[in-house]
Amino acid sequence: MTDHGQENAQRFADAGRPAIIRIEAVNKWFDDFHVLKDIDLTVGAGEKVVVCGPSGSGKSTLIRCINRLESHEQGLIEVDGIELTDDNKRISEIRSEVGMVFQQFNLFPHLTVLENCTLGPIRARGLSKTDARALAMEFLEKVRIPEQADKYPSQLSGGQQQRVAIARSLCMRPKIMLFDEPTSALDPEMINEVLDVMTELAESGMTMLCVTHEMGFARRVADTMVFMDHGEIVEMASPETFFSTPKSDRCKDFLEKILHH
Amino acid sequence: MSDSATNSGHPGPGATAPPTTKPAQLWWKSTWFDIVQFVALGGLLVWLTGRGMAAMDYRWQWYRLPRAFYRVIDGELIWGPLIDGLLVTLEIAAWGMVLTLVIGLVTAVLRLSDSIAGRILAKVYLETIRNTPLLVQVSIFYFVLQPILGINNPLWTGILCLAFFEGSFASEIIRAGINSVSRGQWEASATVGLNRLQAYRYVVLPQAVPLMLPPLTGILVNLIKHSAILSFVAVFELTTEARNLIADTFLSFEVWFVVGGMYLVMTISLSSLVALLERRIRARG
Amino acid sequence: MVRGSKKPRFGILDVIVLAAAIAAVAYVTYRVDSVLVYTWDWSAIPGYLFRYDEDLGHWVPNLLIKGLITTIRISIWALIVASIMGTILGVMRTSQRLLPRLIGWAYVEFIRNIPPVPFLFLFYFFISSQIIPLLNIGSALDQASPATLGVVEFLFGPANLIENFLSGLISLSMMSAAYIAEIVRAGILAVPKGQYEAGSSIGLSKLAIMRYIVLPQAIQRVVPPIAGQFITLIKDSSLVALISIQELSFLAMEIAISEQRFFEVWLFTGLMYFTICYACALAFGRLEKRMGRHLR
Ligand SMILES: Nc1ncnc2c1ncn2[C@@H]1O[C@H](COP(=O)(O)OP(=O)(O)OP(=O)(O)O)[C@@H](O)[C@H]1O
Ligand SMILES: [Mg+2]
Repeated sequence: MTDHGQENAQRFADAGRPAIIRIEAVNKWFDDFHVLKDIDLTVGAGEKVVVCGPSGSGKSTLIRCINRLESHEQGLIEVDGIELTDDNKRISEIRSEVGMVFQQFNLFPHLTVLENCTLGPIRARGLSKTDARALAMEFLEKVRIPEQADKYPSQLSGGQQQRVAIARSLCMRPKIMLFDEPTSALDPEMINEVLDVMTELAESGMTMLCVTHEMGFARRVADTMVFMDHGEIVEMASPETFFSTPKSDRCKDFLEKILHH
Repeated sequence: MSDSATNSGHPGPGATAPPTTKPAQLWWKSTWFDIVQFVALGGLLVWLTGRGMAAMDYRWQWYRLPRAFYRVIDGELIWGPLIDGLLVTLEIAAWGMVLTLVIGLVTAVLRLSDSIAGRILAKVYLETIRNTPLLVQVSIFYFVLQPILGINNPLWTGILCLAFFEGSFASEIIRAGINSVSRGQWEASATVGLNRLQAYRYVVLPQAVPLMLPPLTGILVNLIKHSAILSFVAVFELTTEARNLIADTFLSFEVWFVVGGMYLVMTISLSSLVALLERRIRARG
Repeated sequence: MVRGSKKPRFGILDVIVLAAAIAAVAYVTYRVDSVLVYTWDWSAIPGYLFRYDEDLGHWVPNLLIKGLITTIRISIWALIVASIMGTILGVMRTSQRLLPRLIGWAYVEFIRNIPPVPFLFLFYFFISSQIIPLLNIGSALDQASPATLGVVEFLFGPANLIENFLSGLISLSMMSAAYIAEIVRAGILAVPKGQYEAGSSIGLSKLAIMRYIVLPQAIQRVVPPIAGQFITLIKDSSLVALISIQELSFLAMEIAISEQRFFEVWLFTGLMYFTICYACALAFGRLEKRMGRHLR
């Protein structure tokens, strides 16, 4: 068993929550490039996991495998008891249970904010227009921009766009939310409005997997920190241990760079 | 929870993991399988055409075709009409290209200049060419300008007309090439004391010309393609010769297939050159 | 010193250009008046636009206007047919599988490299002798009621020329489809990858992503250049004059010969094409500005 595999199992036994994501011995290649190497990671319901690591270490690839935007070639990924395979029907089932927020927002530019939020509920969930609208307004209020509902994404600031993207995902009523560097494309003054929304979401008990370098947010919110480098999970620990006594040199270096600049 | 049994097959820390190898791809998802299907499809198309032709009682007489290329009379080699036509087409393309470049360059210079009359002239020329059919341009050149200007060879009327037509595209290409060199390059040239002409000569053109080369070669392809329209007036290029040959021999399909093939060989080889040039330039960044 | 950014002003280049223009006009005038001793006579032209029909008792379009209508009619039809074909081919060219990409690529490259004129002759010959007879249009029209015939004539032109019209239409559409395929392909490729990912992350199927996310955005990008393709079609449709389809260029050719007025007829025909195409270009320019405002 790998180093982090043991930790993983141990940590999990302690917390005593039911597993909602199980990743076991996952390997993935881009052509000949081995991006994910023997990844083991289990996430419990309601757990908040923050993933960090240097650029190119495979963080995005890992979380994109969880809703199968990328497919893995070896190993097992199970989300809410459903194993991810080539079976198409199951994939859309999983995708509507797993919300995802992208670094570049990826809002639909030809649709209004409200239409961005109702598209999934109407077309994938089969909700009526009125129900979808009510649902969308509920979540737009949660992210504090109900007044922008009829604008187009290009008329909003970056922070507002990212909050719409979060609302859009929440409208699918996901059990799990994945965040891929949600604040890296934002101007500094807008980062906090997005982190605040994410913190509230965490407090409401959502299972979250965040790739982020916002270490303040990580300390506040994370149950578990994961450090990746060169496609491997190098360290996995609670935030306290992770920040105070990182074990590997790679992790120490990384934290030094990111915390003292 | 993730029971350790699942993970126990993996080596412990420290031991280097055995190079886990990537699983092989399914054969029916492979590139090769698609290529095979594509070739099969092409074969099917050819077969269907062949059957269609057989059904229509068309009498293939391929054996009569070599005479369209050459004949040997009294031990002397005489080129047939298709070769004559091909040579005329190539002549049109070659001279057309030279004139196109001249017209394109002059127009681009006028458009980039600060001269009012120059810009207006260029604009009128471009809009006229862009908003009328080539066929009408050919007719005007042949029926109107040829007598007025007293040109006595329709071939030259045709070349001139095509050059004016393609020149409008060439001027766009040249202008775009020059404009693609950033403003900073001009400013930098000024700061090192170059005048406008020197800036063109030593800084701008060396950067712009490589960008222009592929689309300008594309114009040569167009010249070959569009020269076929001159069969409308009395220019004896490849298409005209083909039509005359068909009128004489009734070998419609044989002749059109062969002539189409001749054009394709010329244009596709040039198009490939364009693609190659583009790739080179992109690779250089 | 910076290119093109200067205000236009009157300079030495203007003198040269004006001198050249004046010299050209003078030379042409000299040649026409003194060498060819040509007398211009435009009087026949209006009669070919409209003529007074004694039986009907009102003005009816004559050859040039009829030709123009045929030109516009064939261009609109070709645009419709080519848009459908082009969209399918364009989508194929962006497919993840190699096979549809190869098929689309082969079609586009073939059309782009074959000269239109031999292509027209070959396909016209093939289509009109092989495919059109299969459709049995002639006998179908013989049995049609006057009302149906009226509709058909409005859509496709005079009944006796319909087969000929269709042959030209198919050939023209096949050529145009290759260019529209390229436009559609570029439109689809311009939709960022993130849009597909965002679509699948909210659980939409591949089809729904195409239908609600990619195509609406692609269409906003694609409509202006496809509108431009209409202008190209009006111009290219003149080529079908070579296969005796009675559109504007063909009729102009006939009038020029019967009247022996080559100068006037061809210049006027050029002007007619120019007016239509230029007006379309101006209108489409507006359209382009209005579309795709929300796309970054
Ligand atoms: N579609 C792809 N094809 C080929 N290589 C890819 C692809 N996507 C990612 N990679 C490569 O895989 C490696 C891991 O990428 P990934 O995006 O997961 O890194 P990351 O940890 O998210 O980095 P960053 O902090 O820059 O986002 C990188 O080296 C990247 O170049
Ligand atoms: Mg990333």
